[in-house]
Amino acid sequence: MRIHKWLVPTLYIVFLMLPIYWLLNMSFKNTNEILGTFSLWPLDFTLANYRKIFTDPTWYNGYLNSITYVVMNTVISVSVALPAAYAFSRYRFLGDKHLFFWLLTNRMAPPAVFALPFFQLYSAIGLFDTHVAVALAHCLFNIPLAVWILEGFMSGVPKELDETAYLDGYSFWRFFVKIFIPTIAAGIGVAAFFCFMYSWVELLLAKTLTSVAAKPIAATMTRTASTAGYELGLLAAAGTLTIVPGAFVIYFVRNYIAKGFALGRV
Amino acid sequence: MAKISLEKVKHSYLAQPAEPEDYALKQIDAEWQDGGAYALLGPSGCGKTTLLNIISGLLVPSLGRVLFNDTDVTKIPTTDRHIAQVFQFPVVYDTMSVFDNLAFPLRNRGIAEAKVQERVQEIAGMLDLEHSLRRRASGLTVDGKQKISLGRGLVRDDVNVIMFDEPLTVIDPHLKWQLRSKLKELHKRLGLTMIYVTHDQTEALTFADQVVVMYDGTVVQAGTPVELFEHPNHTFVGHFIGSPGMNILPCEVENGTVRCAGHTVQTASSGRPRADARKTEIGVRPEFVRFDDHGFPVEIVKVDDLGRYRIVEVRYADQRVKMIVNEDLAIPSETPRISFDPAATRIYADGWVVN
Repeated sequence: MRIHKWLVPTLYIVFLMLPIYWLLNMSFKNTNEILGTFSLWPLDFTLANYRKIFTDPTWYNGYLNSITYVVMNTVISVSVALPAAYAFSRYRFLGDKHLFFWLLTNRMAPPAVFALPFFQLYSAIGLFDTHVAVALAHCLFNIPLAVWILEGFMSGVPKELDETAYLDGYSFWRFFVKIFIPTIAAGIGVAAFFCFMYSWVELLLAKTLTSVAAKPIAATMTRTASTAGYELGLLAAAGTLTIVPGAFVIYFVRNYIAKGFALGRV
Repeated sequence: MAKISLEKVKHSYLAQPAEPEDYALKQIDAEWQDGGAYALLGPSGCGKTTLLNIISGLLVPSLGRVLFNDTDVTKIPTTDRHIAQVFQFPVVYDTMSVFDNLAFPLRNRGIAEAKVQERVQEIAGMLDLEHSLRRRASGLTVDGKQKISLGRGLVRDDVNVIMFDEPLTVIDPHLKWQLRSKLKELHKRLGLTMIYVTHDQTEALTFADQVVVMYDGTVVQAGTPVELFEHPNHTFVGHFIGSPGMNILPCEVENGTVRCAGHTVQTASSGRPRADARKTEIGVRPEFVRFDDHGFPVEIVKVDDLGRYRIVEVRYADQRVKMIVNEDLAIPSETPRISFDPAATRIYADGWVVN
C-alpha cells in the first residue's frame, strides 16, 4: 500500500525529468558519443561544450540579447500595466468591462499573425534587428496579461486603503508609490514572472525581427549543423543553459507565485 | 476641532439623476457641534457611509455645501480637511510595523519624532497594543488590525472630527464592549468631535449624546436617546429603536376620532392628519400597552418570558401587538382586553408624526 502511494508521483516525476536529464546527459558528451553509442550517463565526460558557449561570442551574445530584450519587455509591460490595472480596479468608466475583455483578446491571435506587420513596420522605421523591437513586440501579449494579473491583485486590496492614506495625509502619487506598490508586491512579482517567461520562450517574433545584432539564443540554437558538422553536444549545452534563467526566476518568486495564484487571477 | 454643517446636501451615484429615487442622499441639513459625540444610526444602505464620505471629502456631493466652522470645504481634498476616519474593515499598511502604522498620520504632518513616540505609546497603551508595537502589521489577527485602524484614527489630537464607520463589526463581543467604553472615555478626555456610524441601536445609544437616525437617504430624526425613545418623529424611528420596536397599527380618523379596527383610541396627538394622507397609523411602544378591562378584546398569540418582564404578543383582527408585562402582573386567561396609554400614543400620517 505504502509503495503504491509513491508509485504514481514517482513515475510522473521521472516522466517529467527524463527529457531534462537526457539534455543534461548529452551536454557532457561529445557528438561522436551521442551519435555512436547509447549510454545513460556520459562515458567520456567533457566540459568542452560549455567552454565553447562561454568563449564564442556567436553563442554567448545570444544569451545577452535574449536577456536584454526580456528585461526591457518586463520593465515596460509592468510599468505600463500598473496604472492601467489601477484604473480598471478602482474606477468605473464608460466601456470599462468591454475594454478589459478586449485586452485579453489580444492574446487570442497566434504571434505568427503579427510577424509580418511587425517586420514591415520595424523595417520601415529602422528598428529592425534591435532589442527594443522585440521588447515592444512582446508587449502586445504581455501588457494585457500583466493588466489582468495586477487587476486581480489590486481588487483584493480594499479601496479603504487608498482612502485611509488620503485621510492620513498622503497625496495620490505618494500613496501609489510608497504604500500601494509595496502592498501588491506579490502581484507585481507574479506579473513580472509571467512577462519574463513569455518573452523568454517566444521564438517566432524574436527570430523574425532580428538578424545578427539582437539575435536571441533560441534562434541561435535552431542551427543544428555548422561547418564542423553536427554539434549535438554543443546544442544540448546551450539548451541546458537556456533552462537556467527560468529556473532562477521561478526560485525568486516561488512564494509569490503560490500566493499569486490564490489572490490574483491568471 | 470644528463645528460641521451640511447645507442641503444631496448626492447621487448616477451621472444624471432625475428621479428622487436616483439619490442616495435625498437632502441632508445637519449640524454637528464641536466636541459632540454623535451616532449615525440606520439600516444598511440608507446612506450613512455616503454621508461620512462626503464629510471626509472622499466624495463630492452632487448638490449642497459642507462647512467646517462656517468655512466652505466642499471642494477641499481629503488630505487638507484634517479628518480621521475608521472603516468597517481593518485597513493597515501591511508593509509597516504596528508602531509605524500608528505613527504614520503624525509623521505625515511633520510632527517631531519625540512627540510621535509619546502619542503612539499613549494610544498603544489605551488599546493594549504595547506588546506588538515592533511586530509587522500583516501578521496580526483581524481584531488586532482593527485596533490599529482605531489607533490611527485617534492618534492625532488636531483633527476636526473622527468618524467611525461601523468600526466594531469585526471585533468579538467582549472586546467590543471594552473598546466602546474606551472610545467613550477618550471622547470625554480629549473632547474631540466624534461621529459613530452603526446599525446597532445599543451601540448608538450607549456611545452618543446625540443620535441621528437615517432612513432611505434622509435624516428622519436627531435627538438624545431619550427623545428618540419617547417621541419618535417617524414610524421608522419608533420601529428601529427599542426592543421590541414600537407597534404601528393602521387606523382611521373620522371627525377627529381615531379608531383602530372599530375601537376608539385616545392619543397624545392634538392635530389631525391632512385629508390627503395616504396612510394613517397609530404608534405605541410595547411599554405603554397594558391589559385593561375597559379596553378592546384581543387574543393572546404568545408569551416570551424574559425574567424581569414578559413580552406578550396579542392579536386583534389581523394586527399583532406586542406588549411588555412586568413579572408581577398576571396575564388574564379569559377574554383579555388591552388599552394604550394615551400620553404615549401618537398618530402617524405617511410615516411622519402628527403632533
